[in-house]
Amino acid sequence: MTTDVWQVAWFTVTVAGVATIVMLPPGIGLAWLFARHRFLGRTALETLVALPLVIPPVATGLILLNLFGRRGSLGRLLAAAGVEVIFTWKAVVLAMAVMGLPLLVRAGRVAFEQVDRRYEQMAATLGAGPLRVFMTVSLPLAGRGLMAGTLLAFSRALGEFGATVMVAGSIPGSTRTIAAGIYSYTEVGNDAAAAGLLLVSICIAFGALWVSNRLAQS
Amino acid sequence: MSFALTLDFVLRQDDFVLEMHEQVADRAVALYGRSGAGKTMVLDTVAGLRRPHRGRIQAGDHVLFDSKAHVDLPARHRRVGYVPQDVTLFPHMDVRRNVMYGAGRSTSNMLAHVLDLLDLEPFLDRRVGQLSGGERQRVAIARALMAAPDLLLLDEPLSALDVELRARVLPYLVRVRDDLRVPMLYVSHHADEVRAIADWVIHLERGRVTAAGPAEKVLAAAAGTGGLDSPG
Amino acid sequence: MLRRILPWRLGGWLGLVLLLTALPASAGARQSARVVVSAASSLTDVLTQLVDLYEATEAAVRVELNLAGSNTLARQIIAGAPVDLFLSANVDEMRRLEAVGRVRANSWDALLSNQLVVVTPDDQPAPPRQLDDLRAAAVRRIAIGDPAAVPAGIYARQYLEALGIWDDLAGKLVPTRSVRAALAAVETGNVDAAFVYRTDAATAPRAVVAFEIPLAEAPAIVYPIALIEGSQNGTAAAAFLRFLRSASAKTVFEWAGFIVLASRGSAIVP
Repeated sequence: MTTDVWQVAWFTVTVAGVATIVMLPPGIGLAWLFARHRFLGRTALETLVALPLVIPPVATGLILLNLFGRRGSLGRLLAAAGVEVIFTWKAVVLAMAVMGLPLLVRAGRVAFEQVDRRYEQMAATLGAGPLRVFMTVSLPLAGRGLMAGTLLAFSRALGEFGATVMVAGSIPGSTRTIAAGIYSYTEVGNDAAAAGLLLVSICIAFGALWVSNRLAQS
Repeated sequence: MSFALTLDFVLRQDDFVLEMHEQVADRAVALYGRSGAGKTMVLDTVAGLRRPHRGRIQAGDHVLFDSKAHVDLPARHRRVGYVPQDVTLFPHMDVRRNVMYGAGRSTSNMLAHVLDLLDLEPFLDRRVGQLSGGERQRVAIARALMAAPDLLLLDEPLSALDVELRARVLPYLVRVRDDLRVPMLYVSHHADEVRAIADWVIHLERGRVTAAGPAEKVLAAAAGTGGLDSPG
Repeated sequence: MLRRILPWRLGGWLGLVLLLTALPASAGARQSARVVVSAASSLTDVLTQLVDLYEATEAAVRVELNLAGSNTLARQIIAGAPVDLFLSANVDEMRRLEAVGRVRANSWDALLSNQLVVVTPDDQPAPPRQLDDLRAAAVRRIAIGDPAAVPAGIYARQYLEALGIWDDLAGKLVPTRSVRAALAAVETGNVDAAFVYRTDAATAPRAVVAFEIPLAEAPAIVYPIALIEGSQNGTAAAAFLRFLRSASAKTVFEWAGFIVLASRGSAIVP
């Protein structure tokens, strides 16, 4: 029983890590976009990105299930390419990434907004193109805030349940995360295993959040 | 060899209108006037950080902006070195990386020369936060120079310094002017600085040019009409 | 002045709150009796029909259906949920309630039986035709009610273990919260097959029965029904139970595919 707990914990942390990495390019990109540019449809896009924060997680899960299921618009294309998402670890990554992204974008946007544009302007007068300005000036100066946002998104991914269980189920050894495990174990009456997972969950989340808050303060 | 700087444009911001129609042949030009006259705006416009509504900006043979010909070079292609009023050294880089930021390849000779000119050799590995005001100013000048600009823009480079430091840094600016022969557009509201650096002065008041000509003449006229030597 | 107004205002609010809470109770007494029935999710469609039928003929009764996996329902009842009637998909859950006194000893009756089938999505080109076909590589995922808790899953597991192929298939199994969830997984095409009841397959347009688990080989499936101890609506609940035993109810059950068992004493009870 204890090996189950460690397996579930290890799996959850690993998948949450993958999900966080997957989140980073679109997350930082969107944060940058919202911080620096005005364009037609910007508010609509901002709202869309923030949606998973507000609608019930199971609703997000349902949307993902419809999109990525074998009969869904995206799932069909993936299935043709031989890629299965639903009920696999990929679905867990997907759910975690979708639920964590809005947090990363939010924190990242604030971080970029706090970077004085004058630095970017100076870099431009020194001959740096937009990509170089971003990589050498904007990104490093926003680094702390981005790091805090990333950790926040990671913590969210760790605890993600509603959407995950919809698209990935809670298959022991395969897609069972800490949260899904706690739920499944309590359903079955295995309170000891549930308690073990609960403890692990609290410890990990506490650690991640603590570091995130420290980074955000300084 | 003469140098032609064309500043012919109109720019509007809220209620403020900035308008210039100047053609200058001298290499060291000063923009003289009270704060709020629009001097920084002129520099931002020449650097490509602001876009005028119409007009033409040319530095030497290089056309930077021409509304009729639909030319509007982005800042990174203008080869204009900018030393802003608030210095704006990159805080997350040390002096060396700041200075080298805009430098292309094969500039090691130039680096040695510029460092020597500005006495920056001992500071190369210091972090920006560890420098004094005067030192930061010199690093900013070095950084702009290392990008091999065709035109150097300086926005009140000495105004943040006390009298003693000002006296110490001004000679460096003179050195840069004489040694490297980079054309300069120098903004200041201090007559003595302007006198030391510039051959040609453009007097800017509330967005319009009220006088332009050889330094002594314009400064004398300005002193006569109520003096801009007063601070601010 | 405040000291004089405050007690009056407080009293006024308190009175209003009391009045509001008292209203529903009195309204209830005047209107219909209420019967809460917790039933296994595989009974969703058939019980909904029967409740509609019953309420149409008995105007003074409102039957509320609480549908989920039987294990979930049993836990709710043990935790004190105000349920009047429990219709489970296996006898184990009923025995659990007996053990804690939520059901009077031996007071439950065997009402229905069912048959296990294997369903597949309707667009599969070469569906499995027998149990061994499930071993094939083309069958990647099989949905099943959680075999640790959901009766349909437990029955399926017993069957597969008895035949010795449980271990072969274990890696492909996707446990779900209820047998209806397993059915839904097949309908959306996200699994290749599922173990469900024959009665479930009938309700799903996009799932087809690939093959049936023969009644003779399968474990005995029994849906027991019992009144819950401490129920406030015993009379109304008993009346509904009698209805479920009636000839008209039997027709509806059998039309849906259930097997109606004779009242206790049938050979099926293990």
